[in-house]
Amino acid sequence: MKKTALNQISELAADLMRRGTLIAPVKEKAGFVFREISDAGRVDLNFYNTLMSPKSAFFPPTEDFVRYDKSKTVLDAEGVEPDLKPVFLLGVRPCDVKSFQIMDIHFSDTAPADPYWKKRREAATIFGYAFDVDAPADAADFYSTLKIGAADPEGSDIFMIKKGDQLLLKAVTPKGESLLSSLNGLAQAGAEDEKYFDDYVARGRNFKTRHACVEDGVIAKKLEDLFHKTEFWEKISDACLSCGACTFVCPTCYCFDICDETLFGKGIRRRVWDACMFTDFTLEASGHNPRTKVYQRLRQKICHKYSFHVRKYGVISCVGCGRCTRNCPVNIDIFSIVEKALKT
Amino acid sequence: MSIDFRKIEDNLKKEARRLLEAQKVSLVLAYGKGFDENHPMPFVARNVSDVDCIVFNEYCSANLARYLVRYPRGTKIAVAVKAADSRTVVQLIQEDKVKREDLVILGIPVYGMKDPKTGEVIDNKTTCGLYNPVLYDVLLGEEVHGQPVLSPYDVLAEYEAMDQDARWAFWQKEFERCIRCYACRKACPMCYCDPCFIDQNKPRWGEKSPELPGNLMFHLTRFHHLAGRCIDCGECSRACPMDIPLYLFHKKIAKECEEMFGQAAGMKIEDKPVLINFRMEDSDKILE
Repeated sequence: MKKTALNQISELAADLMRRGTLIAPVKEKAGFVFREISDAGRVDLNFYNTLMSPKSAFFPPTEDFVRYDKSKTVLDAEGVEPDLKPVFLLGVRPCDVKSFQIMDIHFSDTAPADPYWKKRREAATIFGYAFDVDAPADAADFYSTLKIGAADPEGSDIFMIKKGDQLLLKAVTPKGESLLSSLNGLAQAGAEDEKYFDDYVARGRNFKTRHACVEDGVIAKKLEDLFHKTEFWEKISDACLSCGACTFVCPTCYCFDICDETLFGKGIRRRVWDACMFTDFTLEASGHNPRTKVYQRLRQKICHKYSFHVRKYGVISCVGCGRCTRNCPVNIDIFSIVEKALKT
Repeated sequence: MSIDFRKIEDNLKKEARRLLEAQKVSLVLAYGKGFDENHPMPFVARNVSDVDCIVFNEYCSANLARYLVRYPRGTKIAVAVKAADSRTVVQLIQEDKVKREDLVILGIPVYGMKDPKTGEVIDNKTTCGLYNPVLYDVLLGEEVHGQPVLSPYDVLAEYEAMDQDARWAFWQKEFERCIRCYACRKACPMCYCDPCFIDQNKPRWGEKSPELPGNLMFHLTRFHHLAGRCIDCGECSRACPMDIPLYLFHKKIAKECEEMFGQAAGMKIEDKPVLINFRMEDSDKILE
């Protein structure tokens, strides 16, 4: 285990930038956001959690697939390979690390694997970062409800915990181990730090966010039973504006659209984020739309995360990061809906 | 004089109960409990038993008039409105999206409303700065008098000090951040086009990818679609997760419309939206 002073984080950042691409939280007008770092001094670990989830490191809002030129007699097309430099993703909260494992189910663990996600994922080293267990959780968070600890190192390659003005770094995977041992300017942590780290992880497991734990299977079954109870869904979607804010900030929403963007015959086929809350998400070429109503779309979102996903993959597709709740223009809280369903 | 939120809440409940009991309306658009006190949610009361769930506090910034167009024409609706929200209702009546006789307007005279996300007072920053609804059937509190008269355009000072190039650079920088979640459009009570031009794909007016060209196409077109129609409720700016100050553009256009045509959006039912009305005395400034 290694350690460094928190105010020397820019040195660690600079070292990582020499080895590849560094993606880390920076403070912007709207809040903290993960950005590709070009100035090591901008890395800022004094954040609660980022506004947008870190999924864009592996699943960017726009991903180019094919460049083409239709102006020639024979279609001229060329595949676009993702940039394969090593990527260091610094300062990911445990619930967000968990989201990568859930996204892996779709993009790499089930066939066909998505080469773009897979390559980006393999090229990345994840520096997880524990929440502060001495401060109360944000009112919108509910990760402990989904049995995710505030300081769970699993899923990270290297896990970081704040100890006063120090940052403790512990390798979790062999990949993290080899990187950590080669990093310059880090001090060796002592036995006392090791104990602090282990205690902290344990305290993280006991850390409570706002809701009591609920069994995945119970939620999944309840929502399945409620699926055709239109009055229930209509009532919970009364306030919903059907915008895409919740899905775009969500770390586990993975829906996308493939678009051809052509100008004067030349163009790019690219993947862009899409959202099940959009009216045209399910619009078919015939003009038929199976989900024209807001309640149908919100029901899909909730049931996909808490019911279909559990039935199909055995895990809820939500990590309780609270981003959807914090960013909803009308303050809809996704887990309050689940609780309402359980009480119905 | 300070606002008695409790009294407004009680009156709102009382009116909702009365209207639902007498079957004067089939639904009441009000505010209900959210996941905590600082995050109330728009709430629809359909039965007398729903009335107890109604709340009102300084975080009830949402413009409920946005939901009016969601229900079939002819639905009898009671809607709780603050000043800017009442202008929405007037504007929607002008545009024939709702009929005056189908509505019971529950006016809320209020100031000091806060953005639930930031806790910031929104009076004339993102909203129109009026305290009393411009149109109502029942007033749920005492009319506000003696408060300083605020101009909705005060916040434009910094923006107006920029020259054309600086403004262009400003908006490019702001729109680079846009993630195209369309929260602004969906929160906007005047954005009711179905489908929105940006969702059309034959032809495709703007690219779907969240990058500057498509973002500019979407926002600049939306801004101009709202010229003379924006009632300055500020919902677009509060809805934006990326904190893009959309209100600046809307307020700037509203100010120019007001200067040119002597009419602000959504003030009187008898008015016609400035850009669809021709009067001999209209300003020719736009052609200069």
